[in-house]
Amino acid sequence: MADDNTPTDCSLLVVVVDTNPNQRYIIEDPKVLTNCLDAVIAFSNSHLMQKAKNQLAVIGCHFHKSEYLYPSPGKPLDVRQIDGQYELFTLVEKTIKMRLVNLIKSQPQEDKPGESLLAGALAMALCYISRVRRQLSPGLTMSSRILIVTGSSDTAAQYINYMNVFFTAQKQQVLIDVCSLDKHLSLLQQGCDITGGLYLKVPSLEGLLQYLLWVFLPEASERSKLVLPGGGRVDYRAACFCHREPLSIGYVCSLCLSVAVVTRSHEESTRDHGYCFVAETSSTVFKIGGPLATKPKKKKMKI
Amino acid sequence: MADDEVDPKEYRWETGYEKTWEAIKEDEAGLVEGLVAEFAQKAARKAAAPRRGPVRLGMMRHLLLAIDCSEAMNCQDIKPTRFLCTLKLLERFIEEFFDQNPLSQLGLVLLKNKRAEKLTDMCGNVRKHIKAVQGLTNMNLTGEPSLQNALEYAGRVLKPLPGHASRELLVLFASLTTCDPGDINTNIQALKTDGIRCSVIGLAAEVRICKKLCQDTGGEYGVILDDVHYRSLLLECTAPPPRARALDAGLIKMGFPHCAPLSAQPDNNADPPITQCMCHLEEGEGVGTEGHLCPQCRTKYCSLPAQCRTCGLTLASAPHLARSYHHLFPVDPYEEVPNEGQAQYCFGCLRLFNDLDKEPPFLCHQPPDPFPHQMCNVIHECPFPFISKHQQMFLRSDFWPGGVVFLHFIRLHRCGRCREHYCWQCAGLVSSTLHVCPGCAARPHLYQRLPDTS
Repeated sequence: MADDNTPTDCSLLVVVVDTNPNQRYIIEDPKVLTNCLDAVIAFSNSHLMQKAKNQLAVIGCHFHKSEYLYPSPGKPLDVRQIDGQYELFTLVEKTIKMRLVNLIKSQPQEDKPGESLLAGALAMALCYISRVRRQLSPGLTMSSRILIVTGSSDTAAQYINYMNVFFTAQKQQVLIDVCSLDKHLSLLQQGCDITGGLYLKVPSLEGLLQYLLWVFLPEASERSKLVLPGGGRVDYRAACFCHREPLSIGYVCSLCLSVAVVTRSHEESTRDHGYCFVAETSSTVFKIGGPLATKPKKKKMKI
Repeated sequence: MADDEVDPKEYRWETGYEKTWEAIKEDEAGLVEGLVAEFAQKAARKAAAPRRGPVRLGMMRHLLLAIDCSEAMNCQDIKPTRFLCTLKLLERFIEEFFDQNPLSQLGLVLLKNKRAEKLTDMCGNVRKHIKAVQGLTNMNLTGEPSLQNALEYAGRVLKPLPGHASRELLVLFASLTTCDPGDINTNIQALKTDGIRCSVIGLAAEVRICKKLCQDTGGEYGVILDDVHYRSLLLECTAPPPRARALDAGLIKMGFPHCAPLSAQPDNNADPPITQCMCHLEEGEGVGTEGHLCPQCRTKYCSLPAQCRTCGLTLASAPHLARSYHHLFPVDPYEEVPNEGQAQYCFGCLRLFNDLDKEPPFLCHQPPDPFPHQMCNVIHECPFPFISKHQQMFLRSDFWPGGVVFLHFIRLHRCGRCREHYCWQCAGLVSSTLHVCPGCAARPHLYQRLPDTS
């Protein structure tokens, strides 16, 4: 977490780029994706430039699967120096572009693009970070962080996956930064708050690289010295499982911890169906229980 | 104190002479790296606990922790003394307990001089418990403990709890004797009927009455071998247990403080009023603008979860609930498969599979002619592409007399749902902390782990 302010010897940055064609800005103008990608590549190279030992990984998150864009598994590409550019930068750019083309080509044509599954890409990133940590030569200290660049919206369908990822990141002291290109992402904002990262919704896409460089490039140890956006209040209210609306006072099932607004309809539905409709979401737990006819107690039910 | 009776099932003098150093073997380069990796894999496999079937877990736990403070705790068989070691481990235990079960409550009792004395009330405040435990360091340990008094106290405290709560008692028992005023069996029966799950961790040797108590009430009984074992036994108790009896599932009213008092005010630029938080009322600290307001009575708390002191509402935030979800939606364990060239690298971390991922090597005497006479080091350049699983079994039997060749196969971990391959380290990470399969979570048809409605 950000509370240790001692600088580390090197830092690992994992960038998760959302390449889902479903994002609003890509639908409006597909060329903007190239601009965004260029910004991300320039940002990644600046990260590598800061310290010689800094490390980088880029994960592309498409709607059908997530894949590492950099580094490529197996042998790295053969690159030669062009215009005096540092070879590593050329390698990063070429690898990312080549593998992204492969990723986009591999998308199933018949399926309609769904939502971006960022939680899976984050889980991959955490695996990668723990591997790099294991392979670190003794005596070196490394800070790690994940940056998510996305223009999709977050949905409650991935809630459990997101939360597991956030808690793991918190345990492993990995910062999660989120750069939202389009909408306000309340779930990911919670993740930033849990792990101590930064959340920024970019006001205009044209200046993406500047936002990235100014806000997300400094390491955790330097951030306390800067005035950075964020620090807004995070909405931690639980969403009820029935209407997916945030609640101030709700009722929690003592077995499956699902949250419900207790209304007339709930009372009726439990009476009709013979089970807590809250329990639908966790039927794994209730499988052997058989019918739970008498389950919900009708105490304190009034609204 | 019979220190040598730590494991009552098998006496030390009955086992053969253990040559522990013989387990360490150098490879042909004189390194033990491969062996270390092998040991780590073994430990990781052990840690992936056997899966429980679909059981109902008691998620809102009410755990009463009874600590033996008798003379037996002075014993120095675990360093520095049993008591100090216990206190140190308890600090970790309490943190881990509330990390795993944020909505639970804990209470501490001391078994001291034939009495059961309350140390802390049942509450969910981590700091309070840890402070109380830290304050015990210089306590005078005398007399005998009384198990019966502890059970009686537990019955008194846990019985009036609401029906949805899971009631548990955990006793850390160092003494081999107990000094009871009456018949302890009646207490055990009473606990059993009340559905209180009793577990005991013995610090000396197995005691029959403790075992009976655990058996009757459905708890776990463990006797420690050393401090490391003690730690693992204690931390095992942090995972929510199956419920001891059919609890009625209730809906619990809970408040989710929206930490923005700003929204109530028309002028958003004005600073919120400086208020005193309720959790630090006695210390006189906690004055400030930040805090969580109880949605019912607007009292302020600086940390969650908490129980509102004014209106008694349980206050929590959504992540607190989510922290327990992985007990309810566990990942399916990965299956282990030998590598026959299906995958070059781990899906999760991109690590190339190498010869450290091997299965324990096995011997085959004098291979027949088609086998090249060289070590099979890196499996993706395996000189034996024709070895099938069947042949592997065949090779294990000592079929050919004569020379010796070591063979091993890289072991991969494969997710049964998304069919991706993982290295053992990633598999360990997924099962122990992450609780999300990276492959499944990135597939549109697999990411939701809710089972089919059929």
